[in-house]
Amino acid sequence: MSQYIEITRIFDAPREVVYRAFTDPDQLAQWFGPVGCWVPRESVDVDPRVGGHLRFVMTAPDVTSPVDATFTEVAENELLVAAMEASGIPGVAGSIRVELRLEFHDEGDGKTRLELRQGPFATGQLGSDTRSGWESSFTKLDALL
Amino acid sequence: MADDRLSMIFGALADPTRRAILARLADGEATVTELTTPFSISMPAISRHLKVLERAGLIARSRSGQHLSSTLQPGPLQEATEWMERYRRFWDASFDRLDAHLRQAAPGKERQ
Repeated sequence: MSQYIEITRIFDAPREVVYRAFTDPDQLAQWFGPVGCWVPRESVDVDPRVGGHLRFVMTAPDVTSPVDATFTEVAENELLVAAMEASGIPGVAGSIRVELRLEFHDEGDGKTRLELRQGPFATGQLGSDTRSGWESSFTKLDALL
Repeated sequence: MADDRLSMIFGALADPTRRAILARLADGEATVTELTTPFSISMPAISRHLKVLERAGLIARSRSGQHLSSTLQPGPLQEATEWMERYRRFWDASFDRLDAHLRQAAPGKERQ
């Protein structure tokens, strides 16, 4: 079993449009997070350069989870790699650190194939509190979906 | 599932030899000798890996005659996978919204 999540998804929009949906704070605030979970516009800050930050606050009823990611690789309209740190998760003393990799591929016909890879979900990140914290916030999300 | 157990499962899965052993056991039970051959490492080393896998609940070991056989226990693997699946669902649900957002942003675009 891999310690990474890998998702491939095709969007009916050109690469630069999909890339902008991730790097334009106004847009990110509109779509990020499952239904019942939201990202307040004023919490979003994106600076898509190596060393730049992607910051936002995941919000759900009784959940306020700041996410701070530092870009480690950036190629406009092609690639975003960031070291993510999420804290403020209910019941979590520390924070979760994973790498997020997003590749934007031209699929032809004005479409984009997005390849996401996130992880590793390793022992060190799975403190006893971490799991129950995520568990409870996901349970809340489950109820809302 | 106890939280420390989940940590043990991920710890056990972090090693490539142990993942290979699990893949081999997915084809059926095997003795230590049978496992030593394909991995070209010593029997004590295999035994140590098997002990880690057993502690994590990923395999069960039973003695038949002189042989100690290892069998894959799929339950814990499934639970660990389900835990990660929640992250996947988070993204899938977000991408459903992104899909709708992109369609809204380009209303003139028609599917062929």
